[in-house]
Amino acid sequence: MAEIDIEETAESTLFELSEIESIAIRFAGDSGDGSQLIGKEFANTSAIVGNDISTLPDFPAEIRAPAGTLPGVSGFQIHISSEDIYTPGDEPQVLVAMNPAALKANVNDLPDGGIIIANTDNFTRNNLRKAGYDSDPLEGNGLSNYRVVKVPLTTLHKEAVAHVEGLTNRQIDMMKNFFALGLSYWIFDRPIEPTIRMLEKKFQGKDEIIDGNVSTLKAGYNFGETVEEFQIQYQVKKAVVAPGTYRAVTGTQATAIGMVTAAHKAGKTLFYGSYPITPASAVLEELAALKNFDVRTFQAEDEISALGAVIGAAFGGAFAATGTSGPGIALKSEAMNLALMMELPLVICNFQRGGPSTGMPTKTEQSDLLQCMFGRNGDSPIPIVSPATPSDCFDMVIEAFRIAVETMSPVIFLSDGYLNTSAEPWKIPDPDDIPTISVEHRTDPEGFLPYLRDPKTLSRPWVLPGTPGLEHRLGGLGKEDGTGNVSYDPDDNQHMANIRAERLARIADRIPLQHVMGPKSGDLLVLGWGCTYGAIRSAVRRMRQQGYSVAAAHLRYLNPFPKNLGAILSSYKTILVPELNMGQLSLLLQAKYPTQVIAPFNKVQGLPFKISELADKIAEILGAPKNAS
Amino acid sequence: MADAIETLTRKDFVSDQEVRWCPGCGDYAILAQMQRVLPEMGIAREEMVFISGIGCSSRFPYYMNTYGLHTIHGRAATVATGLKVANPDLHVWVITGDGDSLSIGGNHLLHVLRRNVNLNIILFNNAIYGLTKGQYSPTSPPGTRTYSSPMGSVEQDFNAISVALAAEATFVARSVDRNTKHMAEILKRATEHRGTSFVEIYQNCNIYNDGAWSFATEANVKDDQTVILEHGQPIIFGKDRDKGIRINGLAPEVVTLGNGVSESDLLAHDETLDNPAHAYLLSRLTHPDYPVPLGVFRCVERPIYEEQIIAQGRQAVEDRGAGDLNALYHATDTWIVPEGPDAETVQEVHEELPTSNIIPDIEQEDPMAPRTALQQLLYDPISSLDLPVPECVSADTSVADAVETMRSKNLGCLLVVNKRGLLRGIFAQGDLFEKVAGRDIDLTKITIDSLMTKDPTALKTSDPIGHLLHLMSLHGFRHIPIVDPDERPVGLASFKVMLKFTGGLFSDDISPN
Repeated sequence: MAEIDIEETAESTLFELSEIESIAIRFAGDSGDGSQLIGKEFANTSAIVGNDISTLPDFPAEIRAPAGTLPGVSGFQIHISSEDIYTPGDEPQVLVAMNPAALKANVNDLPDGGIIIANTDNFTRNNLRKAGYDSDPLEGNGLSNYRVVKVPLTTLHKEAVAHVEGLTNRQIDMMKNFFALGLSYWIFDRPIEPTIRMLEKKFQGKDEIIDGNVSTLKAGYNFGETVEEFQIQYQVKKAVVAPGTYRAVTGTQATAIGMVTAAHKAGKTLFYGSYPITPASAVLEELAALKNFDVRTFQAEDEISALGAVIGAAFGGAFAATGTSGPGIALKSEAMNLALMMELPLVICNFQRGGPSTGMPTKTEQSDLLQCMFGRNGDSPIPIVSPATPSDCFDMVIEAFRIAVETMSPVIFLSDGYLNTSAEPWKIPDPDDIPTISVEHRTDPEGFLPYLRDPKTLSRPWVLPGTPGLEHRLGGLGKEDGTGNVSYDPDDNQHMANIRAERLARIADRIPLQHVMGPKSGDLLVLGWGCTYGAIRSAVRRMRQQGYSVAAAHLRYLNPFPKNLGAILSSYKTILVPELNMGQLSLLLQAKYPTQVIAPFNKVQGLPFKISELADKIAEILGAPKNAS
Repeated sequence: MADAIETLTRKDFVSDQEVRWCPGCGDYAILAQMQRVLPEMGIAREEMVFISGIGCSSRFPYYMNTYGLHTIHGRAATVATGLKVANPDLHVWVITGDGDSLSIGGNHLLHVLRRNVNLNIILFNNAIYGLTKGQYSPTSPPGTRTYSSPMGSVEQDFNAISVALAAEATFVARSVDRNTKHMAEILKRATEHRGTSFVEIYQNCNIYNDGAWSFATEANVKDDQTVILEHGQPIIFGKDRDKGIRINGLAPEVVTLGNGVSESDLLAHDETLDNPAHAYLLSRLTHPDYPVPLGVFRCVERPIYEEQIIAQGRQAVEDRGAGDLNALYHATDTWIVPEGPDAETVQEVHEELPTSNIIPDIEQEDPMAPRTALQQLLYDPISSLDLPVPECVSADTSVADAVETMRSKNLGCLLVVNKRGLLRGIFAQGDLFEKVAGRDIDLTKITIDSLMTKDPTALKTSDPIGHLLHLMSLHGFRHIPIVDPDERPVGLASFKVMLKFTGGLFSDDISPN
């Protein structure tokens, strides 16, 4: 039996508890070590035993980085909890480091008293050198603030699978992450059966692969149980969640499934035109696999073509959408205005990433809000909706289609890379309970005009080419209302600009009022949008538990704003607006509500907000809690 | 309905919009021919959509009483592609110009042609930017003096027909605005073609580039400076039809008929050739060295883009059933949180669904990572080796026949299969040495069944090459059969093949230098 030792650390209250409410664990290794796979498996199992989960895969920026080096480190963080949780956790309490580079890249995120499980077999001189360590960090005092669990994981793993015949060395090597998974299951008191079932299903007919993986999984679990010195085991209480059937869903999946749902329920073809770009490509791939839902995907020759084709498909009567990221939005801006002028219903998904220019394609930001609001020539009001969580992508992309069809306008679905790759439990809806978007295609030639407006929504009729007697022409030139005839008449142009503004404003009548969590008035409202939802909600809840009077609201409709937003803002002295940009929503709010005190809180580091960052900011604004002292 | 279509006239296609091109513009002739030809095509007016970009020509859809879209500069082809994918039944024309399709929209032109979307592209080539008042265009010849090139353009111009052919266009033709009869014929041909049809029309801009195509339009010179392409006919031109194009090596030359040159010496036009070289050669006949061809350069069949997309959708329904939202939502592991506050157990549900593979697992391996020679040698699948197809025989083959087969085909071994073609044994040269040589055995009487190695070690194509090397070194195998998942032999890995593969991997390192 290999030896193991745990270095006792300075005081740590968190880990004295045998039952805890939440914990975040991070698996880190080389891209090829399977950290993503075991992280995902750990999350699934935790969900199955009734914890709330939130995950954040952190893919290496350089996917070809050499093994063992810092840029090659790939990680996966899971937050498991007995309460509703909204983020993958600020900082992990447990780090599983498969090699020195994984340790070095992640150890600074670990709080004092955190646990490091290190695969000592990989702490070779060569690997230490590649990670930039002069000496073995596991040996000195450098990690004395943590509990270090040294596990000769590779050796133990090889022993565990030695009895399995027919495995190649490569296969054996690929399986070692399941030893780490088994050990983690023991530490956090999770069952190993779901993973065994997964393996049996996935590798059906490859008995040696199943045997090898299961053997090492069990060995890892038993290792934790039988090694006496290993005295850390935690139980995370079950979360109280609404009854129902759940699954884990990423933003990418939810967006794709939501689009399919909107089109399928309306009896429409879904046309999705997109040019490969990180982090949007995954949505194209998701949809390309769903052709049996009458999904037609078009991988365009460039960003402009993607939206051009979507405009054509919308004219032809399909539910049409494109997906891209900021640089692609820049290229699409002219075609977005064409869709606006032609008044065709379509959805433009912007999965934001770090900018400007190529920026940080694999990192997240919220810095395209003003681009989406204003980044086009002329006055160009385009509705914008924004999902708050991975599963909310499902609801909001359906909303985007509803608004598009009702308004006969392009609609921007403003999501981001963090939402795309994060996962959370999703209570699976009954498709019959999801409202069907009603679509009407005019066929009556009597009194028809291409820009004849619905008096309520100001939208024009959606007529399908092929309808006899309704032949008409649409274009991007200035036009007369009603007939759509080309016109440079001053009054016509003013009128059409007014119509487009008013048409957008009236959307506010057809969207939900803004909801607020916490006191209805007071000193501070934290107002966010997009992927900051989880961090803001968690921070506000934590501060309220500490006696602060603070409320939170999260905007899912950004253009137009919900009708009651002005009234809500005026009920608080200060509005704290945390954003992963340099202050874009803040600018919009300051322009629209100039008497309101807006406190921007911004960062652009490619990373989501930490709960603690927001909590500290709230404390800074409010001072000591009111009912404290 | 059919009756209604037949009774359409030119007037049915004239919209209520006032035509606003400059008086004398070549666009009028093209509009008139289109409105004259369409009633003859048997297509309902409401099934037609004219889509344009930006430029003088792109006003065209406003004047056609059909469905129409006046889009943005260069992008008409993209909008048309999306429309055809959404509704393949429509008849779509893209109206464009030399700036619109060969400059700002050049990329889209290439890709719509490559995809072979079933639509018609009519490119009005006037070799000038007219709407922006006279700048040189991508088809203006070098030296063209315009407001933006007062000392003459220094840019090589594009040949629109050559560009279209290079982009794998299936129908490529050229006509000229002043030859209305020819243009009408070409527009009909383009409409009838299944796939993308590309028609370049030489169009005169009488304001900014008057007379650019006079060599092809003026009565006194056009017969000598253009040639009308006719499928199956020798390429003959000239007022007196006494000149032709002959191929000399790889180059075309103008020859005069007579003096020993007969029609049979001339290049005959064939628009249906699969190889585009012929059409390309014709496209390089340019003024003033050659007569410029008018007519259909190329007309071939290829699968149509949108039809293939629709077919894949049908195939997906056939394979997986029509989409079911509930199944889609459950197409992964799910768990149930039961009703009631005291519910203790959470039930896990593993749904077995046909669509369960739609959301792939995160791969264990990064497929993009470059592979070293050593990794290739150890981990790449056997399928990446260049393996010979094994010679298979049945177990009741006589040893004499087996030896004869091996000798005649220079084989080191034979694989023995049963009636279902499954691998049952291997019969190698070594077996002959060990079990036959020097013994008094009638080779015609015994079968290889008794001499072969039964149920030999075999590998699958997906196994790593390293495994193969391992077995060879461990057991000294010279041959290892490679089988499919059903155990049917699909290849034979030999010592020789491995040496060759290994040598290839390290050729840079081991070649003497």
